[in-house]
Amino acid sequence: MVKKYTSMAYANADELIFGNSKFPVKAGLGLEIGAGYTTPEVNYAPRPGAGASKEKLIKEYERITTDIMARMVQIGAPSVVLETEHVQQMSNNPTWGGAVAHAQKTIMEEYHDEYGIKCALRHTIGDIREDRDYLQLRGDKYSTFMEAFEEVANNGADLLAVESMGGKEVFDYSILRNDTAGILFGIGVLGSMDMEMVWSDIADVAKKTGTVASGDTDCAQANTAMFIAGGLLDKNLAHTTAIVARAISAARSLCAYEAGAVGPGKDCGYENSIIKSIAGVPIAQEGKTSTCAHSDLMGNIVMQCCDLWSNESVEYHGEFGGTTVQCWSETLAYDCSMMNVALKTGKAKDLRDILVLSDKYRDPQGYVLAYDNAYKVGQAIAKDGENNYLRSKNAAIECCNIIEEGTNSGKLRLTRFETNALAKVKADLEALTDDADKFMSDNLTKFKQEVAVFKLENYGL
Amino acid sequence: MLDLKLEDIDGILVRYNVALEKEMTPDEAAEELYPKDELIYPVAKAIYEGEEDDVVDALQAAIDAGKKPIALIDDALMVGMGVVTQLYDEGIIFLPNVMMSADAMLAGIDFCKSQTTEVPEPRGKVVCHVAEGDVHDIGKNIVAALLRANGYEVIDLGRDVPVDEVIAAVEKEKPMMLTGTALMTTTMYAFKEVNDKLLEKGIKIPFACGGGAVNQDFVSQYELGVYGEEAADAPKIADAIVAGTKDITALREEFHKH
Repeated sequence: MVKKYTSMAYANADELIFGNSKFPVKAGLGLEIGAGYTTPEVNYAPRPGAGASKEKLIKEYERITTDIMARMVQIGAPSVVLETEHVQQMSNNPTWGGAVAHAQKTIMEEYHDEYGIKCALRHTIGDIREDRDYLQLRGDKYSTFMEAFEEVANNGADLLAVESMGGKEVFDYSILRNDTAGILFGIGVLGSMDMEMVWSDIADVAKKTGTVASGDTDCAQANTAMFIAGGLLDKNLAHTTAIVARAISAARSLCAYEAGAVGPGKDCGYENSIIKSIAGVPIAQEGKTSTCAHSDLMGNIVMQCCDLWSNESVEYHGEFGGTTVQCWSETLAYDCSMMNVALKTGKAKDLRDILVLSDKYRDPQGYVLAYDNAYKVGQAIAKDGENNYLRSKNAAIECCNIIEEGTNSGKLRLTRFETNALAKVKADLEALTDDADKFMSDNLTKFKQEVAVFKLENYGL
Repeated sequence: MLDLKLEDIDGILVRYNVALEKEMTPDEAAEELYPKDELIYPVAKAIYEGEEDDVVDALQAAIDAGKKPIALIDDALMVGMGVVTQLYDEGIIFLPNVMMSADAMLAGIDFCKSQTTEVPEPRGKVVCHVAEGDVHDIGKNIVAALLRANGYEVIDLGRDVPVDEVIAAVEKEKPMMLTGTALMTTTMYAFKEVNDKLLEKGIKIPFACGGGAVNQDFVSQYELGVYGEEAADAPKIADAIVAGTKDITALREEFHKH
């Protein structure tokens, strides 16, 4: 049952703060997420070649898990979440994923029993719903995909997640051609349709297994835009276009919670601040601590209202200070310690604002995601919450308006190129119909012709 | 909420992209670079603007005026694309402009071919693929478009390409270069296997690799590997090969930046 959000969880933006969510989530071994404290969430990838066999893979994850738990105890961290993002072998062979979850949870239980450390295990299933040439969102692989969730849930995973890919074929084509309608169609319409299907089924698995349907991220689309946009001097995509894609992605990723997910949202969903303002769910975020995986222009700001603080992903290997997972978990834990002190001493809002201001004017992406502006995007989504298309369009237009306000204040400075790109996106958006059916029909016709890999059956059309 | 005073922001961060922006607009810069020939100019301009229909119309006008279709590929389409790649390299225009121009140029090449029985001579042939097990192909698509935009014939094997299929394509097509892209650390391992099988068969061509988690250290581990940090490096590596730098060590010297 999908119930759409048409109002805000928070009465005003100032209520948004790290470590606190309207609807905290209990998970794993004594952990409560968004219940007054922040927790590090460590994410890792096995070394290349570790997936050669099931046994090798399990052994690799046992080493990773032990390293993290040991380091957390060594530095006195009160809580930790481990996130295992599946390599394809684990999702394509659900028993592999289940065996890894079991091995990890066994170690975590030992540490919990011995030291009392609060902990939970998130497993993020790979979106394996594709064959070599096409997305195959509803095809033969769907049952394996769902089986992968069930296997990990039955074998120790506490939090179920995925980075789903609906709409990516249209988005990939459109983002490289500045096609605003295509970006909106790929993320806001097709992505949302797929999310509603996938997350209804994941929520059922969670209910059946007593686990938590946590959340999604628009990694496949909005993060692709963010990565292509790159740093200040990169010339691959206007950052103003990238943040419009991000604003739309909030309307899309929200669908998980409407279909039964309860949080925490996935770390690389930079749209999560917007989602938290609407749904009140706890969220994971990553920023300066994810430089091991990628660079972004929002290192501090995204910490503003996180409940879990993550490092995105780091390949497991040795560093001077231990293994990578030990080094990064330690960094995350000290950041969380700082936030938790701020919460206990009544300084949380000051710390939040300092984090925000260190990045707010760095780039239009951070500007729009600053909690005061994120809240406005949330309101634009909730205003037409029942309609996936209209709310996505609202989010995109509100995003453009926010950037214009920023530049008018003189504090947010754009290049002429970014300004022109913004004007084009806004004009494109304002020229779009308000009729969702017409938008759907126009774009189906267009992209069937232009994108060879776009298959209607993926969306039940 | 707290806020910064306008005058304090520069002490916190510097918008180097704003500070260093070129004075000239992209259109003005392009105008300076277009060829002056009155039949070629509209083709080049339509390529820059990414307008496929205008490209075809301008080509038709040039053919009607006596220009040879195959010659127009090098003399008009490639010249127009040269304007686009130069502006991209100089940071004046962005990737989507290049992609749209590349689409327009391919439409133009198809049109020229349809007007003659002659066969155009590409600058060189490149086989492109995404690593086995990896379906993330946006990077490969950019690489392929940029190579085509620079006059190379691209054999695009697609994504999740089995190692043996890559080897078979290289044996059949005999390219001057192979490219491999991967997003994930877990799939990029296939590059080493491709490398080893090529060497087993005595094939020693540059194997340009990049994308996602792929890094210079990893690519340096196998004999044929040349790391490309950005998609735009692919045509530059191909250009270097065409210009005579075929030795892998020399290519690494030029393109390995770290």
